[in-house]
Amino acid sequence: MTIDWWTLGLQTVNVLILLWILARFLFRPVAKIIAERQAAAHAALDEAEAAKHAAEAARAEAEAARQAVLRERAEKIAEVRKDAEAEKQRLMAEVQAELDKARGQAKDELARQGRAQQEALSEQAGVLAGDIADRLLARLPKEARVAGFIDGLVEAVAQLPESTRAGIGLHGPVPLRAAQMPTEAEIAQLRAGLDTTLGRAVEIEVTEAPELIAGLELDTATAIVRNHFRADLDRITAEVRKHD
Amino acid sequence: MDNPLSIEPLFHIGPVPITQPVVVTWAIMLALGVFSYVATRHLRIVPTKTQTVLELFVTTIEGQVRDVMNGDPKPYRTLIGTIFLFILVANWSSLIPGIEPPTAHIETDAALALIVFVAILRFGIGSRGVRGYLATFAEPTWVMIPLNIVEQITRTFSLIVRLFGNVMSGVFVISIVLSLAGLFVPIPLMALDLLTGTVQAYIFAILATVFIGAAVAETPSPQSKEDISQ
Repeated sequence: MTIDWWTLGLQTVNVLILLWILARFLFRPVAKIIAERQAAAHAALDEAEAAKHAAEAARAEAEAARQAVLRERAEKIAEVRKDAEAEKQRLMAEVQAELDKARGQAKDELARQGRAQQEALSEQAGVLAGDIADRLLARLPKEARVAGFIDGLVEAVAQLPESTRAGIGLHGPVPLRAAQMPTEAEIAQLRAGLDTTLGRAVEIEVTEAPELIAGLELDTATAIVRNHFRADLDRITAEVRKHD
Repeated sequence: MDNPLSIEPLFHIGPVPITQPVVVTWAIMLALGVFSYVATRHLRIVPTKTQTVLELFVTTIEGQVRDVMNGDPKPYRTLIGTIFLFILVANWSSLIPGIEPPTAHIETDAALALIVFVAILRFGIGSRGVRGYLATFAEPTWVMIPLNIVEQITRTFSLIVRLFGNVMSGVFVISIVLSLAGLFVPIPLMALDLLTGTVQAYIFAILATVFIGAAVAETPSPQSKEDISQ
């Protein structure tokens, strides 16, 4: 067995040339494109990672904004509730004041109506008493409407002060109102009583006044002496009103 | 039948005799060169089927180198890949009638082994420096220096003889059977020869990787670094 050294040398050179050819046209381009793909994949991964981070940041930001909106909403609700509560209190105070005012007015009105009713009742009582007295007196003789009151009138004049009594009948006849026109005897009795009480003779001018119901009324410049049912009823009514 | 142990020049270029293995090697170089040029002209990020096969081939070579050397396969990718591809194509060239594979001649195998031997020196010295590389011969003790030197030579010869013996014997057996039994009988043997050729290409490339890996200092590959960092 022999070795062809030329062939050995040529094959060595051939393999070296093949090394260069394959390095130039096969391994380097393929390795380069693999590296480029890996770089692209890494870049895509990095980009995806960056996008993920950006998305997470955006989500966190949105969450923060949502929390801020919720906080603001809660604050506004609390503020509105506070305002509503204040408004409610104010309205309630206003309503209470108006109620108090209306209640006071109603109370005043009721009192006023009560008083008016009382007055009306008193008035009616007076009228009723007058009617009762009138009907009762109607059963008595007509002379009783005057004769029974002569002594009382004289006594009332007697109780007047001296100076007042002195002025009665000085300047003319004494005006005298009677529930009905007195008889001559009654006038004489009345004049006699007044003469005795005043210590001098006086003239009497009698006029009829049915509103007195029964009795007499002496009306002079210095004094008015009432001795009749109307005056009594008025006094009783006044007393009743005073006691109410 | 030609004697596989002898080689006759087909023609001469000046004083240089051009033998059949050289011509076949040129044809293989041309075919591989043209194929590589055409196949890698329009590489894209989204690969075609051909590009996928090429990328699979390159990444497989890198994976094998990385696994064996436990280092960055980039400096050795072209050498190991070229050796594997050339031996594979050369072995399979026997399928073409009238063509003897260049690897069936010891000159081709010797040329490949010589290149591997030089690569071992180059990468060993480049990695460890001259003193560092020479110091590996004294490992584990200086007593081993003669044996390590002999090992360097013998393992190179083992590369030559293993490839030459397997391919040559295959060609030899097929030639004998073909001369004795007719046209279709050698076909199973030829199929077996394809397998043998593939295995021999793989063995030659892996052994070259192992020898180079033993010569260079152990450096973690970028992929390994990435794996560790993860």
